[in-house]
Amino acid sequence: MKVFWAFARQSFQTGLIYRFDFWLRVSTVLLLMYSIRWVWIALYAQRPGAFGVSLEQMVTYGVLSTAIVNLFYSFGVQYYISGQVRSGAIDLDLLKPLDFHIHMLARSAGEMLFRLFVIILPAMLCGYLFFGLQPPVTSQAGFLFAVTLLIGYLISFYLGFLLGTLSLVTLEVHSIDWAFDALTRFFSGQFVPLWLFPGLLGTLATLLPFGSLLATPLSIYTGVLSGDAILTAIGLQLFWLAALSLASRWLWRRIQARIISQGG
Amino acid sequence: MNGLQLYFRLIQISLLSSMQYRANFIVGLLGLIVWNVVNLGLIGILITQFTSLKDWTLWELVFLYCLWILGNSLYSLFFSHTGQMEDYLIEGTFDQFLLRPASPLIQVLGREFQYLEIADALFALTGLSLAYTRLGLRWDGWHWGFFVLAIVSGTLIVLALNLLVACTAFWTGRSRGAAMVVNQFHGLVQWYPIDIFGRAFRLVVTGLLPVAFMNYYPALVLLGKLDHASPGWWLPYLSPAVALLLVGIVSRVWRLALIQYTSSGS
Repeated sequence: MKVFWAFARQSFQTGLIYRFDFWLRVSTVLLLMYSIRWVWIALYAQRPGAFGVSLEQMVTYGVLSTAIVNLFYSFGVQYYISGQVRSGAIDLDLLKPLDFHIHMLARSAGEMLFRLFVIILPAMLCGYLFFGLQPPVTSQAGFLFAVTLLIGYLISFYLGFLLGTLSLVTLEVHSIDWAFDALTRFFSGQFVPLWLFPGLLGTLATLLPFGSLLATPLSIYTGVLSGDAILTAIGLQLFWLAALSLASRWLWRRIQARIISQGG
Repeated sequence: MNGLQLYFRLIQISLLSSMQYRANFIVGLLGLIVWNVVNLGLIGILITQFTSLKDWTLWELVFLYCLWILGNSLYSLFFSHTGQMEDYLIEGTFDQFLLRPASPLIQVLGREFQYLEIADALFALTGLSLAYTRLGLRWDGWHWGFFVLAIVSGTLIVLALNLLVACTAFWTGRSRGAAMVVNQFHGLVQWYPIDIFGRAFRLVVTGLLPVAFMNYYPALVLLGKLDHASPGWWLPYLSPAVALLLVGIVSRVWRLALIQYTSSGS
């Protein structure tokens, strides 16, 4: 546990070095909040009842989504692994007397916490003040939002880990990540909520793990999901968390044997 | 060897080196197609709930999106390496460009040929021609000329803006954050017609960071959405002028950046 915090603290501090960078990141989030609000206003002006929820709920969904999505694009375990493979430094990581999954999770958690306190929470505050973000429908919903968001974060970590492991085969991660990123944006409900997806696409979107990242916490927060539907959604999240963590451990063990270290 | 020859020689070398990663090539092509389909899919889902987004129909939005992608893909194909400037400066590898007897700018630009972007360009052309037939457009020679000019301008605008951002690394040490902000503006302009956002946004993407000249303004002309009675109706025709202006600015800034460059000395 001590080692875990040491790594987590280290990546937290790296984040603090570049202050200019930080301001730019925050202003990006604010810009996106501003624009997503306008998109929904423009769409609602045309057909107010089309989405099954009120404009306030929809704006809350969009603005909050813009803030919390930063949780998932934080560390990029896939980039770390493929970078280490490219430079050859991966041997050093493997030599460390520490489980590789734990090591990665510690680094990722450090950056996640950095983003949470330095970018996401301030952005949410601005959201409340300027962009029509509303508080959660009930305090219980607020609590469950936090819980499901945490599970979502872990799921995204394992997805990233699987991608990184794949990069040991392709030796390059950028283009897989490109496609993966697009799928995440589409199926996580980051911009367009999953309940707007038509027919089969909608069913597919609810079953895939991506929905656990954003759609589940956001739907609970805005009160679109309530009662038993929340339990089902959390059950699905836990299923994906278990499945992906087992899969990434299994794949890592199989592929570790054939690591090609470039350079070094 | 003159500048142009050198540039193409460098491109050729980088192409050979990236061909080593064959698996990545295939995955990369698929990745780009998925990316574009997803982007259009998101707009598509929204529009099926409505008929239009502030009097832009689905196919007009496809046109808007693809016009941006086409200009950007030409940029990425040839010049996408500008984004790496920060790494060269931090690691001190920029020095190697200065030591060789050739223009540093050409060496940086010729660093990489993103052949994958051809997929992007083909996607955009397909999208544009589909939109052209679906919208029942009938362009005369003048429109076709403006279309070609708009694409070239788009490529130059994105090149100049990205180089400008990359140059900020000479002063601040980092440019990725600034690049991210510019990319967000690109992303918004690429997807949505800018008139749905507030007035402030419109001013920014027209005057300050003129990304709207890549697709929105040319699209107004090409889709016949111009209202000649309103004041400022000539603005959409200015894309080529904006592109030239930006190229002029960036060449000045680049020269200044080189003059005050100090190596990180590692």
